[in-house]
Amino acid sequence: MPPKRKAAPAQGAAAKAGRTSAMSTPGPATPRSLDGSIMSDADEDFDEDVTEAQKEREALLGKEADDFVNKFSFAGKGLRTQADDMGQELRRYDAATPFFRKRDYSHLPLKADHHNRPLWIDPENGTIVLERFSPLAEQATDFLITIAEPKSRPTFLHEYALTTHSLYAAVSVGLRPKDIINTLERFLKTPLPAAVRKNIEDTTKSYGKVKLVLKNNKYFVESVDADMLQMLLKDPVIGALRVHGSEQITTSHAPTMVGLVIPGTQNAAGVHQANLRQAEKMPGANGVAANEADLFAALNEEDDDDDKEAVHAFEISDNSVETVQKRCLDIGFPILEEYDFRNDDVNPNLEIDLRPNTQIRPYQEKSLSKMFGNGRAKSGIIVLPCGAGKTLVGITAACTIKKGIIVLCTSSMSVVQWRQEFLKWSNINPDDVAIFTAESKQKFSGSTGIIVTTYSMVTNSRERSHDSKKMMDFLRGREWGLMLLDEVHVVPAEMFRRVISSIKSHSKLGLTATLLREDDRISHLNFLIGPKLYEANWMELSQQGHIAKVQCAEVWCPMPTEFYDEYLRANARMKRTLYAMNPRKFQACQYLINYHESRGDKIIVFSDELYSLKQYALKLKKVFIYGGTSQAERMQVLENFQHNPDVNTLFLSKIGDTSLDLPEATCLIQISSHFGSRRQEAQRLGRILRAKRRNDEGFNAFFYSLVSKDTQEMYYSSKRQAFLVDQGYAFKVITQLANIEKTPDLAFATPQECRELLQRTLVDNEKGAEEDVETDDLFGRTRRRGRAGGGGGRKGNGVRRTAGTLGELSGGQDMAYIEQNKAANRGLRKGGKAGAGAGGQSGFFKKIQREKDKSKQAARAGQ
Amino acid sequence: MVRAIRGVLIECEPAIKSIIVHFDSVNNDIIIEDLDETHLVVKENMVHVLKQKLEERLKETYRPEEPLQDSE
Repeated sequence: MPPKRKAAPAQGAAAKAGRTSAMSTPGPATPRSLDGSIMSDADEDFDEDVTEAQKEREALLGKEADDFVNKFSFAGKGLRTQADDMGQELRRYDAATPFFRKRDYSHLPLKADHHNRPLWIDPENGTIVLERFSPLAEQATDFLITIAEPKSRPTFLHEYALTTHSLYAAVSVGLRPKDIINTLERFLKTPLPAAVRKNIEDTTKSYGKVKLVLKNNKYFVESVDADMLQMLLKDPVIGALRVHGSEQITTSHAPTMVGLVIPGTQNAAGVHQANLRQAEKMPGANGVAANEADLFAALNEEDDDDDKEAVHAFEISDNSVETVQKRCLDIGFPILEEYDFRNDDVNPNLEIDLRPNTQIRPYQEKSLSKMFGNGRAKSGIIVLPCGAGKTLVGITAACTIKKGIIVLCTSSMSVVQWRQEFLKWSNINPDDVAIFTAESKQKFSGSTGIIVTTYSMVTNSRERSHDSKKMMDFLRGREWGLMLLDEVHVVPAEMFRRVISSIKSHSKLGLTATLLREDDRISHLNFLIGPKLYEANWMELSQQGHIAKVQCAEVWCPMPTEFYDEYLRANARMKRTLYAMNPRKFQACQYLINYHESRGDKIIVFSDELYSLKQYALKLKKVFIYGGTSQAERMQVLENFQHNPDVNTLFLSKIGDTSLDLPEATCLIQISSHFGSRRQEAQRLGRILRAKRRNDEGFNAFFYSLVSKDTQEMYYSSKRQAFLVDQGYAFKVITQLANIEKTPDLAFATPQECRELLQRTLVDNEKGAEEDVETDDLFGRTRRRGRAGGGGGRKGNGVRRTAGTLGELSGGQDMAYIEQNKAANRGLRKGGKAGAGAGGQSGFFKKIQREKDKSKQAARAGQ
Repeated sequence: MVRAIRGVLIECEPAIKSIIVHFDSVNNDIIIEDLDETHLVVKENMVHVLKQKLEERLKETYRPEEPLQDSE
């Protein structure tokens, strides 16, 4: 905050401009329309410094977020071109102008008491910057969360964006445009730009006029205003999508009695009622005070009055729903999708309630209050960090709606988890929670219930078994009250389209931790599911102890010259392998594992590169899981990781990125990753956020990202961190790990070993064949040496090998490889069978076994 | 008979050296003598070209060749 000075200048930022222009030629910079406050240069200096810094930061932040914001913000809609009725706000030009280009807002007048107000606004794209250190920050945050979408939330400056969706959300919880504008005006340091004001008014005015309803398993566009529908029908896009054969516009009258059910048209009646209520809501909302409680009271009163207004509707086909929604948004009449579940008498109620001892956390409550803000269920997406209890939010939503629920998850593993969670948190009858996966196809016993399934089960369009086909027909034939979509970000839009066109639900709730994709397909979710309803503040949650505090670090590992030479020559794929196999990285990994194991941490090591994953795990003798690991083995390894004190490190390929619940893990090392995927970074971080020990005094979880210096990885890495940095995480860069060379048994310590590793990596990956993976046994080594001796005759190698080693021909070599390399995973199984982890004993027998194998092989080869 | 070539001694990180060696491998027209991990003697007249090439190359390193369609 700028220090208080007498007669605070109304133009802190402008002040700066004034001074520079005074110093340079007072030419074009002089036209100052805002002469209301004449400042002395001496007086400005303090204010100027601070505000200028702010400005600069704002401009910088703004610029970074610009592209992202553009997609959904006003800027994309040409806000800039709108006439500014404060036209006299002339831009001034001075020495500093070129640095800010079009983002120089020093001409905006500051209010006299601007240092007491926490908000800045970018008049062009509606980006709002909040000074978190202001005494008013708390109130401002609450308000901003309601009306805008959070973009970036580091410690001191938060950035929010006003978007169409966020404003709709604000209106739907009962805020009036006037309130939004007044409150903004109160918090802003500068007067609210006219363009933004106009946009808020425009956006909010048309909200709620058109509705999308589901009746009899068909979608209808509904409105109380026939003209509006006519207009929509005349629209070239929407008109064409109307289902032909049906009458152009069906007009029906709202039932005059609550609960009026006409046999045969049950659904219609129910939905009509539900939607009429919504229609009434809007005029009602305008009449009452902003206070939400008042508003609801008033609404309820209105609800009791019977309204005989006619509802007009036309039908659209299932697969055009999205197009229509998009189009309506484009032309400024967003389609409202709300489900008045309390008045839905058609679909049977589900007996489900949270267990009385269940307490949901304040932020979970907040997110749900956004969803059920006006007593109806809105469709949308709730964004909570991994480990912050997304499942419980979903279950609570289900308990609120109490209708048929369908849950879609990403894997059959999480299907089982979801079902367990339902049983754990709610009092639902276990028979009512059914699972639909490839293995099990249950149906619930009663008239309604919960189905948990995967996206792929529902969207699979190929031949199905008879059972699943029957099941799908069952799913399709019903109306669901709520569709819970777990990890919405992983599923591309096309898949959702298929889900939504085949399964009808009144409301949809998406749950995710990272609402971002590197491709743009996430933007469609806004139409397919609904807007972002709530996004939690990671930093706040970790301060409150709901998720673990994490120290993030990026470790720079130089590439040895040989590796780097090879890297320069390699193709893109090989490059990735090479920077993952960097021996310095290997050493760093080893060092970190040793260090954290000795601290008692449980460590997960992530690698996208399958080859390096195996190499690392084998060399370090740790257990690993990748796509090819059988289900039983996975379970075994995971169980051991959780409970066996001897198994502290687990190597995971990208299959472990999401949905894997390992609350024991407290340290995470990433050795290779998927390009610049911010989502993957965040998801991986999520694996340690739910650390069990998070509430211990001074506990920190650790997140290391190992990066090979001077390679593309550096670039990707900085990209990947963007999301977490926006959430307020800071990455430390470690260029040198202290005492790394003193690590006992340091891998690849000599140049000789490095070269061997390089050769091996190159050869293995060129062939892409499993057979050549190095084994430590004598036999393999002699073979390789022989080859090296062969010199240039690399091509002839194939021949020589077959001639030289019969054992390989018979598959003996491979067997040796398997025996040796799965040692870590296998050891677990053996230990498990023997009962307790009798380490010494199993090691002894292993050794005997190994020797036996070797001699067997030697014998075979010798034949 | 002694033949003299004007050269420039370059001291750099191993990685940069690798890159220079990589350039040289095309025409062998840059490096006179490869001294050790961090030192090279290059032809004087190539220094300018080398600098340019290096600049380009380093830009490349931090801009991946096959970027994903990124929203940023």
